[in-house]
Amino acid sequence: MQALYDTKTSDDLKDIPEIDVRARMAVSFLASIVTIIISSIEGQIILFVTSFLYALSIRRYKAVFIAYVFMAIMIVIASLFTYGFSLLLPSMPFSINGVLVPFLRGIVMLNVVLPLALTCRIQALLTALKSLRLPFCIYIPGAVMIRFIPTFMNDIKQVSETLKIRGYNLSFGEMCRHPLMMLRLMFTPLLFRSLRTSEELGMAAELKGLDANSRFVPFRDTAWTNKDTILLLLAVLVSAIALTYHFMWGTIPAGGMV
Amino acid sequence: MTSPFNRFSAQDLVVIGVFAAASKVTTLLVALAGGGMNPISLMGKNLIFTMLLVVMLCRVNKIGTLFLFTIINIIVSMLLLGASVTLLPPLLIAALVAECAMYPKRESESVWNKVLGAAIFDIVSKSLSLGLSWIFMRENPAMVIMIIPIIVIGYIGSVGGLFTGVKAVKELRHAGIIRY
Repeated sequence: MQALYDTKTSDDLKDIPEIDVRARMAVSFLASIVTIIISSIEGQIILFVTSFLYALSIRRYKAVFIAYVFMAIMIVIASLFTYGFSLLLPSMPFSINGVLVPFLRGIVMLNVVLPLALTCRIQALLTALKSLRLPFCIYIPGAVMIRFIPTFMNDIKQVSETLKIRGYNLSFGEMCRHPLMMLRLMFTPLLFRSLRTSEELGMAAELKGLDANSRFVPFRDTAWTNKDTILLLLAVLVSAIALTYHFMWGTIPAGGMV
Repeated sequence: MTSPFNRFSAQDLVVIGVFAAASKVTTLLVALAGGGMNPISLMGKNLIFTMLLVVMLCRVNKIGTLFLFTIINIIVSMLLLGASVTLLPPLLIAALVAECAMYPKRESESVWNKVLGAAIFDIVSKSLSLGLSWIFMRENPAMVIMIIPIIVIGYIGSVGGLFTGVKAVKELRHAGIIRY
């Protein structure tokens, strides 16, 4: 998330193959549909292996590792709960195969989202959003939302630093002990900041004459290259292979549906 | 015939965008600060989301605000955060039902019409999300049962958010930040 809004060009990003944001969005969109359809272990494994290679292609191994550690913790917690339910309700037996497919769905989505989140710059996202030819009433709030997220994160940092200076303890334990007070302390200034920012940005938009009939000129034109086409074709090919394998030879876990 | 969305001024659209960002970031941060799925953070993030929704509906007092907010939220989540396309139908249905419920008193400046819209949006979207969870985890029904208390706890937070939303709107009206 932080990388998405980093305006500096780091050395890490120079080595990453330049892929258009729209191509990465299309891959993410395709994966979200195919992974829902496929309920066989073999089909999900095909998706997992290829999406994992795609995630590794950005060469941000540390970020991918951290994301996988978080995912593993969530999987362990969910498995323990599911095992507990199987003890309480014998009609719902616990099996590794039964939990594997839902978890693989989550991991496949993680693999396709990481390259999008870790390599795309905010300006590229805005340009891509504009090139999708969305209506004015969707483009403006969408662009504001993407642009405002880093500002809002900064506001949160400032508010929490102010509270620390005033002697408030912002630890997890304190949040559990006094949730309403912490909510009030953190959230009220943020609400006021949001309203003030929206007022300022709204006035700026009106002064610039933005309305439904405005013509936008992108800051930088996006170029669709052969690499983007190849990525998209590969994604379609992998989806077709996984779907074929699922419908022809796939093993549906016990209790599952096609 | 002009689109109903053309009645939104640039300022209204900016407010919707800012609140969409605020709700996304705060709910994400509360979830992370709470260390995942503990009841307090689950209630907290739903409380904040509903509270922001009520404040936004009062700030942009127009038909279609909730529907537009939902579209923006889901488009950005789909494009940037990899949210599944299957989230779109339940949220859009919930937003449409809530808009229909608010329609008879659309001219009213009372906060209670907005509270009604937010309450209906929450309950419909959460009920439909449960159905969606079944599609995601159809291979293991025990995992769907596990999600029911999570959604119920989240809904308790949403109900709390309706009341804190009313309180926040009162304060903001008193401060002159919300003029309606």
